[in-house]
Amino acid sequence: MSKAGGAISVLVGAVLLRLALTGTFQRYVREGMGWLLVAAGIVIVTVGVVAFVRALRHAEPADLHDHDHDHGHGVGVGWLLLAPISALLLVAPPTLGSFGVDRSTSVDIRSGIGVFEPLPRTGTARPMSLLEFSQRAYERSGVSFNRSAVQLTGFMAGSEEGGFKLARYQIACCAADAAPIVVRVVGVEGAVPARDQWLVVTGTFQRGGDEDLPELTATSILDIDAPQDPYE
Amino acid sequence: MARAVGDGMAASEAAQRGTPVPRRDLGVVVVAVVVLLAALGRPLLEQLFDRPAFAHWATIFVAITIQAMPFLVLGIAISAAVAAFVPADFLPRHLPDRASRAVPVAAVAGAALPGCECGSVPVAARLVSRGVAPAAALTFLLASPAINPVVLVATAVAFPGRPEVVAARFLASMLAAIVVGLVWARFGRDALLSRTRGHVHEGRPRDVFFDTAQHDFLQAGGFLVVGAAAAATLQTVVPRSILDSLADRGLLSVLALAGLAVLLAICSEADAFVAASLTQFSMTSRLAFMVVGPMVDVKLIALQAGTFGHRFAVRFAPLTFAVAVASSIVVGWWLL
Repeated sequence: MSKAGGAISVLVGAVLLRLALTGTFQRYVREGMGWLLVAAGIVIVTVGVVAFVRALRHAEPADLHDHDHDHGHGVGVGWLLLAPISALLLVAPPTLGSFGVDRSTSVDIRSGIGVFEPLPRTGTARPMSLLEFSQRAYERSGVSFNRSAVQLTGFMAGSEEGGFKLARYQIACCAADAAPIVVRVVGVEGAVPARDQWLVVTGTFQRGGDEDLPELTATSILDIDAPQDPYE
Repeated sequence: MARAVGDGMAASEAAQRGTPVPRRDLGVVVVAVVVLLAALGRPLLEQLFDRPAFAHWATIFVAITIQAMPFLVLGIAISAAVAAFVPADFLPRHLPDRASRAVPVAAVAGAALPGCECGSVPVAARLVSRGVAPAAALTFLLASPAINPVVLVATAVAFPGRPEVVAARFLASMLAAIVVGLVWARFGRDALLSRTRGHVHEGRPRDVFFDTAQHDFLQAGGFLVVGAAAAATLQTVVPRSILDSLADRGLLSVLALAGLAVLLAICSEADAFVAASLTQFSMTSRLAFMVVGPMVDVKLIALQAGTFGHRFAVRFAPLTFAVAVASSIVVGWWLL
């Protein structure tokens, strides 16, 4: 066993634990993965500590003669684990932004779609996922909105004529399989928000958008920080 | 190449005995220096994250690594427990003598003994050295990382609501492992396996457990980092249009993803998540990605060449690749 190997394992485990306990892991994987990351972190730290302690005890020259086999106990390719770890220790990479919106395949909103109950006219805007907004817009051309106000949370993903694109990713497992849902926000007064700025947009469904880009006429746009769970 | 590396390390270990400062001590210093350099480079890193393309790459790179980690750890823990607590002669004693019967039994045994592919190579080598028919040991080598419960659960998580993907992966991998074993039993030359060496930890079961777990974690973790970086690069750099243009081309798309599996060398516990992200490809091509990956990839070829010898590896890898692709096409056409 090598002390370097043990140290690398302890570092990897500690970083996993930190990601899980601070909630930062939600930038990369689904919320439900949290406890799995804690468990994995504890196991890796334990294995690393044991390896480190055993390496300390067995550092006598006599012991080295027992290690004549082929690839020994070198760290080898394990050194590469330091790459993501060093990055995560310092600055955790951000959530996925607008860069990937045009590069990824988009969500098939038509799959598993049902018939929506009409929204009640309560006067308060109803918070809604971009997926539900797109599905309601597709289903019977948006009749179920009942002209009620809705509230969408997403990030600015590029200018459009008369407004901008609001997007949010869906992920099945981790950010590698992220697929964006995009809504066109129109009726924007004043300056268009900065690209990748997170926003809460309140407004009403606007007929006339197409299947890929349903439209929302904005009545208010609020800048916010990226949410803890940035994916839908 | 793997053998040259191994020889090089053996030589440096020999050299190190004569020096007053063992290289193992320097290793910890290197870890500290890398972390320190990263700390000093923090402003640089923050600047890099201001570039959308790099931030995108880093997020996907980290995401794949993080997502795979719990599954990798589970696989390694179980595999280490097997190495430590299951008697080494358990499998040889329970396998039939004739290769044609031993091969299917070995495939089933592989499914029951979870472990990632880095772990199954030394286990297979141990089986051969303990007198199991090589064809059966090779079937075990292919089956064990591809169709064990941990991998199947990971696949079910990666493809939610699509149990037929899990079934197809199980059947296609099992079929490929058995066919390769039978082909080897009929046409293979067992003499090629004569110099079989494995990385076997010895000592008290508890020590074997921790030694194996630590060793496998560093190996598999390191190769996982390579795979995650390659996959993130592919997603960031390669325009969708290229993958999309290959995606529509039937057999070509199957070969493209099978080849990608060889190059990415992602651990079998994690490859389903990458396959799930390649949404523009047909399910059959993604099945080929998941069937080929645990059986043939660049790191496995290196490991097999190091363990069984080059002359074995240059025959075994193409045979396995061809059989795995054919098996995926047949099962994918039938089930998906």
